[in-house]
Amino acid sequence: MFKKLLSMLLYVMVISIGINAQGVIYGTVTDAGTGETIPGATVLIEEINRGIATDADGKYRLTGVPSGDYKVTFSFVGFKSLTLDVQVGSSEVLLNANLEATAIGLDELVVSGYAITPKRELTGSISSVTSKDIQDVSLQNTQSILQGRAAGVTVSATSGNPGAAFKVQIRGNGSINAVSEPLYIVDGVQIDLGNTSGLTSTTPLNAINPNDIESLEVLKDAAAAAIYGSQAASGVVIITTKSGTSGATRVNAKVERGVRSLARNVDYINSDQYVEYMGEASALNFGIDPTEGYTSPFAGDTRTFEAGDYTPFEEDYRSFFLSFFGADPDSDPANPTLTNTDWQDFIFSEGITEKYDLSVSGGNQTTRYYLSGGFEDTEGTAYGSDFVRTNIRTRLDHQINSDLSTGMNISVSRATQFGVCQDGNFINCPPSQAMFEAPMSFPYLADGSYNPNTRFGLSTNPAVVDNEVDRNVVVSQVIGSANFLYKINDWLNAKVTASVDYRNTQDEQYRSAIAAPTQNGFITFANRNLLNTQTNIVVNGVRTFDEVHNVSGLVGAEYKRVYSETQATRGDNISGPFFSVLNSTSTPITAAGSNTEYRVGSYFTNLKYNYDSKYFFSFTGRYDGHSRFGADERWAFFPSVSGAWQVSEESFFDGVDVLDDLKLRVGYGQTGNSAIGNFNSLGLFSIAGTYDGSTAIAPTQLANGALTWEQKNEINVGLDFAMFNNRFRGSVDVYQQQSDNLLFGRPLPTDSGFGSITENIGKIQNEGLELELSSTNYTNRDFNWTSRFNIAFVRNEILELPEGEDIGPSSSFQSLQIGKPIGLIQVPRWAGVNPADGRPMWLDQNGEITYTPETEDQVEYKDGNADAVGGFGNTLSYKGLSLDAFFQFSFGQWAFPSTDYYFTRTPDFLMNLTTEVLDRWQTPGDLTHYPRAIEGGNDYAETDNYRVTVGTQSIYNASYIRLKNVSLSYNLPTSLISNLGIRNVRLYASAINLATWTAWPYYDPEVAFSPFDIYTNVTTASYPTEKQIYGGIDISF
Amino acid sequence: MKKSMILKKVMLVLLVAGFTACTEILEDVEPSTAISFETALSTPAGINGLRTSMYDKVLGNFGYTTQYLIGPGALADETFNRPGSTRFQGLNNAVGTSGTAHLGVFGASFDIIQDANIIINEIPDDVISDELREQYRGEALAIRAYVYHNMARTYGYEPGNTSNGPEANWNLAVMIREDATLDVSDAVELPRNTVAEVYTFIREDLAEAKTLLAGRTDNRYPTEALVDAIRARVELYAGNWSAASTAAQAAITNSGASLVSTEAGVGTMFKGPNSEAIWELDVNPSTEAIAGSNVNSGLAAYTSDQWVAQIPTQLVLDRYDAADYRLSGWFESCLTAQTTGATASTCGSVNSAAAALTKWNGWKGNLVDDVTLVRISEMYLIWAEAAAKAANSPAAGNGPLTTLKTARNAGTTPAAALVSITAFEDEILDERVRELVGEGHRFWDLKRLGRNILDNTGDIKMRADAYRILAPFGTGEQNINSLLVENPGYAVSSN
Repeated sequence: MFKKLLSMLLYVMVISIGINAQGVIYGTVTDAGTGETIPGATVLIEEINRGIATDADGKYRLTGVPSGDYKVTFSFVGFKSLTLDVQVGSSEVLLNANLEATAIGLDELVVSGYAITPKRELTGSISSVTSKDIQDVSLQNTQSILQGRAAGVTVSATSGNPGAAFKVQIRGNGSINAVSEPLYIVDGVQIDLGNTSGLTSTTPLNAINPNDIESLEVLKDAAAAAIYGSQAASGVVIITTKSGTSGATRVNAKVERGVRSLARNVDYINSDQYVEYMGEASALNFGIDPTEGYTSPFAGDTRTFEAGDYTPFEEDYRSFFLSFFGADPDSDPANPTLTNTDWQDFIFSEGITEKYDLSVSGGNQTTRYYLSGGFEDTEGTAYGSDFVRTNIRTRLDHQINSDLSTGMNISVSRATQFGVCQDGNFINCPPSQAMFEAPMSFPYLADGSYNPNTRFGLSTNPAVVDNEVDRNVVVSQVIGSANFLYKINDWLNAKVTASVDYRNTQDEQYRSAIAAPTQNGFITFANRNLLNTQTNIVVNGVRTFDEVHNVSGLVGAEYKRVYSETQATRGDNISGPFFSVLNSTSTPITAAGSNTEYRVGSYFTNLKYNYDSKYFFSFTGRYDGHSRFGADERWAFFPSVSGAWQVSEESFFDGVDVLDDLKLRVGYGQTGNSAIGNFNSLGLFSIAGTYDGSTAIAPTQLANGALTWEQKNEINVGLDFAMFNNRFRGSVDVYQQQSDNLLFGRPLPTDSGFGSITENIGKIQNEGLELELSSTNYTNRDFNWTSRFNIAFVRNEILELPEGEDIGPSSSFQSLQIGKPIGLIQVPRWAGVNPADGRPMWLDQNGEITYTPETEDQVEYKDGNADAVGGFGNTLSYKGLSLDAFFQFSFGQWAFPSTDYYFTRTPDFLMNLTTEVLDRWQTPGDLTHYPRAIEGGNDYAETDNYRVTVGTQSIYNASYIRLKNVSLSYNLPTSLISNLGIRNVRLYASAINLATWTAWPYYDPEVAFSPFDIYTNVTTASYPTEKQIYGGIDISF
Repeated sequence: MKKSMILKKVMLVLLVAGFTACTEILEDVEPSTAISFETALSTPAGINGLRTSMYDKVLGNFGYTTQYLIGPGALADETFNRPGSTRFQGLNNAVGTSGTAHLGVFGASFDIIQDANIIINEIPDDVISDELREQYRGEALAIRAYVYHNMARTYGYEPGNTSNGPEANWNLAVMIREDATLDVSDAVELPRNTVAEVYTFIREDLAEAKTLLAGRTDNRYPTEALVDAIRARVELYAGNWSAASTAAQAAITNSGASLVSTEAGVGTMFKGPNSEAIWELDVNPSTEAIAGSNVNSGLAAYTSDQWVAQIPTQLVLDRYDAADYRLSGWFESCLTAQTTGATASTCGSVNSAAAALTKWNGWKGNLVDDVTLVRISEMYLIWAEAAAKAANSPAAGNGPLTTLKTARNAGTTPAAALVSITAFEDEILDERVRELVGEGHRFWDLKRLGRNILDNTGDIKMRADAYRILAPFGTGEQNINSLLVENPGYAVSSN
């Protein structure tokens, strides 16, 4: 019956087609340069809003076209669009299109701040990443997309926890006491990164579904970034989301599943090896000569042993461990044995990821829309850590009449991070617990109850932390903007935009009475709101005079207000196991609340001129007023000038065949850093304690009317080029930037009642070179091979400090010295292990062996700055099959793994011990790098404690090359799916962090403690990076 | 064209409006947990908050609570570290990782003085009533004098003792900062003033405070009696015996308090509001923690509770008669005194009775006690010592001493103590230990009398002429203040 109906319906349709005299347009789209066909090119008839993509053979066929005259537009990335006229009758019309390749990149549009600029006209230094670069890469965080993909942008994970923040640094350390993250702008909305969760690492950029991202632009130099004035010193990242295009409705659905696991385990010794180590240490401490046999010194034991056999001492330690840690709960109580727990295995397990994305886009000549929704659930590896995000995005553009158009863009998201505590040497954080618990320890007793004898007792037994502690962070965000664009005349328009960036963060922590016995369990709840509103008006103009004088520019004004508030509560004494809300606590402890805000008012302009697209000139100025600064210095002007010379447009260039394009750019500009406290310039009396029922208000800060921006001056020279028929393209940038007026606390005489006053006194410099290359190595009809590569070198130097004096000049990791880089490492030089007695040796300042190095013996060793970072990748495609491998690297960074070093290299605290101890010195003559076994503390006579004496042996090279992403995708042939009304089906498999090549012996060579860590030369226990493998299907209709 | 002209004009107006709006909009951004100096000083609540801050700083500071009361005994021979604990070990051994451990409280003292200076100098005439203004000013003057005297004895010698040390006539005390720092231009470097100048400054403050606080009796705040008591201490240290004697008697009279004279009364004296207190900081255990935000730094945590750290030495216990109410009232076995925490069985290695001092034992809450800073019994002892020395006759001072001994059931003054002023001074020193152990006097008493500092075994720890008698300022302080001269014997900054 159904079949019958269907065929009848079809019959009616066919009849109606016949009646309306509809025709067919068909043909092939080819590359005019090579003659190869172009699969996937768009064919669009705007008049009737019909479109189709070419199939794998570059062919298309548009049926049912009503008779009439049409303009058909053919387009494809990297080619100039071509519009052909065609007359359609009732017959089939052949319409082939030959598309000319563009000098790749030059006609791309780049979002450069308040305006969209053709890449050809750029005079500053901007790196771009587009959706095409990342379509097969399942990344959860926007910041991680930039890792290795934008030259000069150093991105380091601060935690492997799903949803955690990254440290993003553009062109080196530009500040010491006012370190700020780059300014992120999402579809014109400046995102404020403040007032985030206090419970777990997170970032407001989690609101953005990477699947919605069309492009990321990084404004690197001052010439490009100066339009953002006082907020731009750390660089600007502009994120543009996808928008609808006129034409047929496109539906895109994507389903993905994957698994995350620990990228790497650290090797620790097992319980038996532990006993052997301790027995040996004990024997040597007792005075047993490792080269001679001996009789057991224990009372009642008359056994004799050969040299190197420490059985009686091992037995002694084994029984000590049995009493200290308890026996293996599975062992026979009559014959108890030590357990051997793999704590990494207990703490970290595989996590499952699911992602679903759906988008619908389309429109006609007056209205375009893009709607998308996404859901993601990513389980982390440590305990129950989990990241769940739901987001909806709506983007609507509408042409009201020929002069007026409007647009609206709203993104709503809710992310839940079920986190764990993650960074630092905390006894209740799983990453440090994986180091702190010895293999002899175990989580559960034989009866299934928690073992109370774990390293720090019952309340921090890793099983208790897993089951009895919840840390839940819920972030709800709205990022939206609405605008009106009025076309004043052909060359002038004005745009008014209002935007909002709202975020609510709820931090909830529950600890049962087992995990918090002192408080008999507690619940904390913090509610944080941040409301960031912005309005701006921009007048934009473009005009050409005498066909060669191209003038364009904009002037605008902007106002921004960021208000944030926090309320925090805590209740103790949880009545029972049934509830985990504040109502179930019987003792209120904390009720705290506060709010803060800042405001910025700005005027800005960008004036551009070019002569015949050959000589480009650009001026940018921004006049910013910021409520944070002192009344005397509240307003400041940040200018930049830049120019470019399109050398390849010159007539003398015509004869050069090899080079297709050559452009020289030079820019100089100033940007500011306003990342200080909201009220640092005011003289303040603050709430401080109580007495006799009154609240104290105490003078806490002196007024500082002269406090002002840190200022960055930067000069950048760049060269863009394309060679061999645009097959080899690239750009080089060199820059020097000096950050001046750096904020430092100038100490005041203590008897003034104030410790210091923040003043603008200090200067640092970053110099660097960046190179971006891409090439089309081989291309024909079916097979394509492209490569890309980028690398950035940066050198950091402190130029000026308060009073001309070094700060903490002998500090091992945090010295600030004029003429030296931030993050310099100063430690005594390691001289190895004395082969005669196994003692650790260092060198003193005279180069002599010492066993007790002093501060004076420190040498300038390495530093925490990577010298070169970048990435490279290759894409191979054959017909619908595509393989992409992307590597990311960092060279020259050195760091001290403090937690691993302090806690897992000697048995002082009876924690996990690294397998490095297996290389220990055992008998005279041993040449090795690990000293004699010790029981703990200072076992060697007149020798410093090996565990705490940091020397060059404690500093590791954090250089690495990482196979960041490898993906394989397959587009089903059009012939197979077109009948089903499906435009495209893509199957893909992708892996992240699949392999890492590094000399770093611990979890992860990505060394960054927090987004504000400027030294990056010390790591503490941190949530390790995860390896991720995904598979997905992407269907578009 | 016409339309575009209109629009352009509209745009221009918008831009101009935007400009004016922006400049104004940046002005009124205020923090939620802080107010400006002007606001603070122009409202009664702000001024009251500032006054509260002064007390919060005294109470919240380790140097004016735990270290103030326990430190001087630990640096001398009153208390010693229980093996296994490390608290005040540096003072016991008079060693430290960055120089000799001492009792210097520099920054925190000036934090308190800053608040006092604002109250003294900056409160406008018409914000609070004249009566209140005078009361606050009197309190601030008294506290400034109290803090200055503590700093003067820490960093300098007493008047008349300035040649006691390694350098003859070393007469420097601390800088006198009498104005509030309200602007960075006020934070000028100041040189140290002489001991004589500082004592004169203290006397001036006290003289004015006495008038302003006449009739005040709430001993949680400075009263006229406290001003008299500080005056008595100051004159005792300065060797002005009759002035000290007069002031001590005035303090007793004006306090309205009398000596506790029953065994039960002595035993419970420190457990509630101390009826002998001339100045006692009242602590709310649920909202306030002494010595900063952490009760773990409180008095009890350093003496009889939790860590059972500083244990009275055998020398202290041996000074009491068996019937002395103080012996039964203020000492208890470590094991019973301690409520939680480390095993205290090792107390026995400090004194044979394994006794802990329980004046501070968390009587008011978990590790929290009210902080009794001045008691009338100290005034009886000052009176006794000063009167005897003023008359150069032990008999002249025996009256008040006997009054105290009687109240404590401590018998009569031994005849041998009355044969000479030196013998009487010895007896006064012993009685001060018996009465004031754990109340912050021992080191200062030995220092002001030019005596050697003894250790827990009675051996000499620091000779009276040792440079270590004075506290160092440290190189950090010298680096900040180029006019600061370090005390003799200590490291001098290379700058």
